[in-house]
Amino acid sequence: MNRFAYRRPATLDQAFELKAADPSAYFVAGATDTLVKIKNGDIEPRALISLRSIPELKGIETGETVRIGSLTTISEIVEDAELAKIFPVLAEAARQLGSRQIRNVATIGGNLCNCSPCADTAPPLLVHEARVKLAGRSGSREIPLSEFFEGPGQSCLATDEILEAVLIDRPAAGARGAFFKKGRVRMDLAIASLAALITLDGELCTRVRLAAGSVAPVCLRLTKAERHLEGNPLSPELVSEAAELAAGEVTPIDDVRASAIYRRRLVEVFTRRALAAIAGR
Amino acid sequence: MPEKPHVGMPLPRPDGPDKATGRAAYIHDLARPGMLYGKIKFSDQAHARIKRIDTSRAERLPGVMAVITAYNTPEIRIGFIRDNFALKKDKVRQHRDEIAAVAAVDARTAAEAIELISVEYEPLEAVFDPVQALAEGAPLIHEHDARGKPLPDNRLRLGFHHESGDVSAGRRAARHVAEGEFSTPLVQQSCMGTAGCIAEFDGTGNLTMWTKTQIPFLAQRDFNQALSAMGLRGKNTRVIVPALGGGFGSGLDTHAYEYIAILLARRTGRPVKIVYTRDEEFARLSPRQSTRTRISQGCDAEGRLTFRHIEVLQDNGAYTSWGATYPSVMMLPATSLYRVPNIYFDARLVYTNNTYCQAMRGYGNPELNWALESNMDELAEAAGMDALELRKLNCNQPEETTPMGLKVTTCGLSECLESVSEKLAWGEKRGSSKKRGVGMAALFHVGGGGRIYRSDGSGLFLKLDDFANVNVYYGGVEMGQGLHAVLCQMVAESLGVRPDQVFVNPTDTGTCPWDVGTHASRGAFMAGNAAVAACLQMRDKIFELARELYTSEVQKNIRRARKKDPGDEPPAFNFDLAAKRGDFDLRDGMVFPSNAPPDEIFAIDLGRLLRAAHFRQEGQMLAAEVFYDPPTELPDWEKGFGNMSASYAWGAQGAEVEVDTDTGEVKILRLVAAHDVGKVLNPVTIRGQIYGALAQGVGYALYEEIKCDEGRILNPNFRDYKIPTAAEMDFDIDLQFIETNDQAGPFGAKGVGESGMVPTAPAIANAIYDAIGVRLRDLPMTPERVLAALRKRSPGVE
Amino acid sequence: MKELSFEVNGKPVKVMAEDHHRLIDVLRNGLGLTGTKEGCGEGECGACTVIVDGRAVNSCLYPAMEIEGKRVTTVEGLTEPDNRLSALQRAFVEEGGIQCGFCTPGMLMSARALLDENPDPDPQEIREKLMGNLCRCTGYTQIVESIQKAAEYERKK
Repeated sequence: MNRFAYRRPATLDQAFELKAADPSAYFVAGATDTLVKIKNGDIEPRALISLRSIPELKGIETGETVRIGSLTTISEIVEDAELAKIFPVLAEAARQLGSRQIRNVATIGGNLCNCSPCADTAPPLLVHEARVKLAGRSGSREIPLSEFFEGPGQSCLATDEILEAVLIDRPAAGARGAFFKKGRVRMDLAIASLAALITLDGELCTRVRLAAGSVAPVCLRLTKAERHLEGNPLSPELVSEAAELAAGEVTPIDDVRASAIYRRRLVEVFTRRALAAIAGR
Repeated sequence: MPEKPHVGMPLPRPDGPDKATGRAAYIHDLARPGMLYGKIKFSDQAHARIKRIDTSRAERLPGVMAVITAYNTPEIRIGFIRDNFALKKDKVRQHRDEIAAVAAVDARTAAEAIELISVEYEPLEAVFDPVQALAEGAPLIHEHDARGKPLPDNRLRLGFHHESGDVSAGRRAARHVAEGEFSTPLVQQSCMGTAGCIAEFDGTGNLTMWTKTQIPFLAQRDFNQALSAMGLRGKNTRVIVPALGGGFGSGLDTHAYEYIAILLARRTGRPVKIVYTRDEEFARLSPRQSTRTRISQGCDAEGRLTFRHIEVLQDNGAYTSWGATYPSVMMLPATSLYRVPNIYFDARLVYTNNTYCQAMRGYGNPELNWALESNMDELAEAAGMDALELRKLNCNQPEETTPMGLKVTTCGLSECLESVSEKLAWGEKRGSSKKRGVGMAALFHVGGGGRIYRSDGSGLFLKLDDFANVNVYYGGVEMGQGLHAVLCQMVAESLGVRPDQVFVNPTDTGTCPWDVGTHASRGAFMAGNAAVAACLQMRDKIFELARELYTSEVQKNIRRARKKDPGDEPPAFNFDLAAKRGDFDLRDGMVFPSNAPPDEIFAIDLGRLLRAAHFRQEGQMLAAEVFYDPPTELPDWEKGFGNMSASYAWGAQGAEVEVDTDTGEVKILRLVAAHDVGKVLNPVTIRGQIYGALAQGVGYALYEEIKCDEGRILNPNFRDYKIPTAAEMDFDIDLQFIETNDQAGPFGAKGVGESGMVPTAPAIANAIYDAIGVRLRDLPMTPERVLAALRKRSPGVE
Repeated sequence: MKELSFEVNGKPVKVMAEDHHRLIDVLRNGLGLTGTKEGCGEGECGACTVIVDGRAVNSCLYPAMEIEGKRVTTVEGLTEPDNRLSALQRAFVEEGGIQCGFCTPGMLMSARALLDENPDPDPQEIREKLMGNLCRCTGYTQIVESIQKAAEYERKK
């Protein structure tokens, strides 16, 4: 009951060994989500394996593909000027995650591995078609982030795997983005969130990516709305249609924070506003 | 000597440094030698028979010193109608009923022990709606009252009623009428410091309670009654109040956990500490009362109010605490806000299996004001009148007695309305935009105490030590409102010493005189009046000493000066002018005859005078003592009549909002507030009171709500119960204080603690109506509700 | 039980702690530094805020085992030698930034971290950075004013 062993491996190999010795142990980074779950009795791990001291998981490298180590804190993402220039939508979502205290400790890896339907960093990463590098005892693999989320709280990580880094290709030159999130108050879990990344070639959208959070079991791409827009100019009618499609693609629930109807409404409004903002620029 | 006023100055609060350095000790920080940690097992059923409680595994857990239930402890009845119990027996009536408790060597063991207690229930049919609870065949929450008399239904036998004039006639005389049903939700006081106490018996069987309370003396009486029930008749409780992490009304009753701590302390023979975790604070403590109000008002062709008809229905929950008495305060605005000749007010309270409720800031006034001030705007619209003009036309005036018998002395309402309308740019902005709007609401509240109990008294002791330090003993509590600061200022100015010579002692029933409690915005008013009187007493005694000793002390001064500088002759002074008590004055800790030349040789340090009086044959020490009980009446609640306060507070607030009609979000652009406070005692702390209350008002208006499902609280944490953060209050707030200098109060002051959150919600609602033409009648006005109202108004139009 | 070596308010300390302890447990129970308060235990209210290696964090969600070798500042570390109030503490006392005081230690630490990062913050930035510190008493206006006053005092020095 709220008692657990806390292990601090210095290398990935050590981390994998510890996990092999105790498969029921939880990997943690910032631990902010995990400790709350333990406190509420949602999980009762006998041990936590902290990845915080492992060097390979740290750092941001900005090449053609940007590599963000999974231990990068949300504050580090907010404060990295170059990252903010390349991925303003990700920076904006990071800025709106939790409080300063949480951002100073929470990591991008943790935010993704928690697999919350409300994860703030997921929609921006999805519209950038980010990939995640997963490392395990037997080697590593790279998969699209969209395949990483299997269900609420359920990722596709194998028992002995960890998320090592997030890999994002630099967006095309004409790409423009927007991010919207609404909570009951400013510091809140999202009732609904939406990220958009659109490449405009003159009047036409050559590439449209939309992703929403808190409105389905996992953060997801709004592919029907995307297909409706791609290759077309952003006329008000098209925008309205796309917004309606987007609202129809999500499967929100009623919960203590908001109703499903309201969440659908927000997806529709955010889609319209994101497209309007992008077209307007 | 120059006069230096202390009242009205921004004296930094004396308790500030301790709080800023982490030194202040709250109940969470206190420990006693040998102390054990208590924890409570709560019911997970809303209405059920208790078939079996198995505590055997908990008892065997190493480190557990005691496990108690209602079955192995004496019965302790609590609450002012005694319908509640410290530990529950036979059946549970709400989700938070206390079934068992443990005391263990540390908090972790106590928590583990609680998990090991198993309870078997036989669920009973439950009811969660007061209307259903009144229906024929509804399950009975309480079969008997405290005296054993069978109860026929779930209605509480508490009457709150007022009738004056002839409402039917008033209705007939009305040209325009507005009617509506309004509701307010359960809301949590959300103190940052959670509830808790330490109970400790001493070697003689007397009890000391360190506890988070606002009613130390009423609590003492309650705890003494519990001691009697425990077979300790004649034993006494001493209640000591540590630094409080907030109050807002949550400390106005005694709670089951306090009695449980006492029972555990008795059982173990050791001090026992119980402190609530945040989720216990949300789910197991009593929140603000929810209400449903039906109101109709009418006015004649000119806009003069002709009648007001109000019916209130309250879900009383499973037991009775101060939530049940909100109608006593509702009666104030119901009968006296604006001049209304014909009034009907009635409140019904019904038991259900929901959580029971207690006091929170405003105590029924925000609830009633929500309905009344929203309805005033609706009436104005029905009458084709400007909402400000309707209010001004029916505005209260000074020196009037209201239909409830409230003797209004000062009344700054019209100034408050003027101020708010001006600051809002009412004429320019009202009705001017489709997305933005302005709205206002006024308030009426007690300002000179509130006699809702047999005594509304406050005692105060002063003692002077040898160094002219003034020790103040006052039985009310500082919970952050700034009471200690203004008390220091009032004592300093009334007595004639420096504020840094005034020390307000911790609230302790063992040392302080009786006080009914810090509620009803009464702290500064009562402490101040008592302090002023005590200081006058003390000055008399000081000047009596001066009469005796002044001359000889000044001769010493003169001799000393001559020795030092033989040539320098002090000015002449006829010591006959220092012969009577009335010849003297005391300022900034210096005693001198009023007619003495302004030379420092003629001023005697108060400490020196006191030492001269103390260290001699038949020496003296000085103290003063006052019990101030204002000239007010305990109203007859069934008649709705009685002048319950010595003065009354008035105010008005306004809001400018912008509504996002796509998302339903209401953005506050600015708030303005004007409050008739009699006199500003401390400009920094009084602003703090209003800013803080406004924030609570904003939360109340827009998003705060305890959500329940079949009696179970669904959002018992800050993740899902949202209160304003610094970012939510990011808009202009304009405050104005109207000083009407009411004679009843110390330095003319009136109470202000609660007023700040009374009219905030209706001001915002009225602004929303001005912006988008939808009237919201249920709090909180969430974006979903705004959208739903928009859709209802124009179906099919998005 | 493990022995943790780290620095608190400028002084090296050694404390015993269990694996499941949080930094707030080590500070309050292990070191007797009860200035830091637990308001919710879930990282929502910020009453437990302390500064670790220059960053404001919720000590109720910070594993004790991670504090090895780090520098921690608590509210007790703000007070200057000879028990004098620092400019930041003084500003809060003077400008009404304190009422019941329970949120104050956490609020002061967030303010300290904020001013260390930006000695001249505007009100909007202050409010953004304080979103994780709940206060039920003050309504925040005078807290923002206190921090602005503190910034002014510190710039003068």
